[in-house]
Amino acid sequence: MTATMQAQLSAETRDRFQRLAAEWKEQSRYLSNTAQMAMLRPYQRIIGMGLSVVPLILEELQHEPDQWFWALESITEENPVPTEAAGNVRQMAQAWIDWGKRNGFVSP
Amino acid sequence: MIGSREFPRLTATNYRVTSPATSDYNCIAWAAEDEHHWWQPGVFWPLAGSSADFGIEVLVEAFRSLGFEPCANAEFELGVEKIAIYGSSLFYTHAARQLPGGTWTSKLGRDVDIEHDMPTDVAGGLYGEVVRFMSRPAR
Repeated sequence: MTATMQAQLSAETRDRFQRLAAEWKEQSRYLSNTAQMAMLRPYQRIIGMGLSVVPLILEELQHEPDQWFWALESITEENPVPTEAAGNVRQMAQAWIDWGKRNGFVSP
Repeated sequence: MIGSREFPRLTATNYRVTSPATSDYNCIAWAAEDEHHWWQPGVFWPLAGSSADFGIEVLVEAFRSLGFEPCANAEFELGVEKIAIYGSSLFYTHAARQLPGGTWTSKLGRDVDIEHDMPTDVAGGLYGEVVRFMSRPAR
């Protein structure tokens, strides 16, 4: 994420995302059906936060690969995951992190 | 500790944790003996051209493509591999695989793998109930 974008991320946005992400992780802990995971209320609220939350999701992916791909696709209308990486959670996370670097959401 | 609210039928004696938690693969992958992918229709799925449909029959068809056919029950049969599919309302929720000794193994979301005595041990809560048993000749 560029310094400008980082500065634009309010503490309120970061706090809200972290609270919702923690709730989602707890509620989805035992789920394997990605649609069920994505329909949980905290996840839907994160999607509703829009582009402002993309840098925070990418930070999460750098820290711990997880099922954030549905949210990223919904918000950005992009899918940078190459076919050969589909289903491999770590490779999918890396594809999104690389996309974030190319598009200024993550520091290169 | 595994949640009793989500798994009201698990007891201190009917399951054993067999792996650390990981988000590298999910229960569907684990039932298909794949530890390297998170199986999801439309993303990574054994049927080409799958759409993002998460219904029970979609999972039945996926296992059918792996050589499984619906069978009557969970009874252990020598030379036969069995899986159990779980569902709650519209969605498939879980899949478990029978081990060669007759017990069952489940990956619980992004949490741990467990060995459990009966397929019903992980039902009755978050996963709903077993909706299909499927089998194929052992490979």
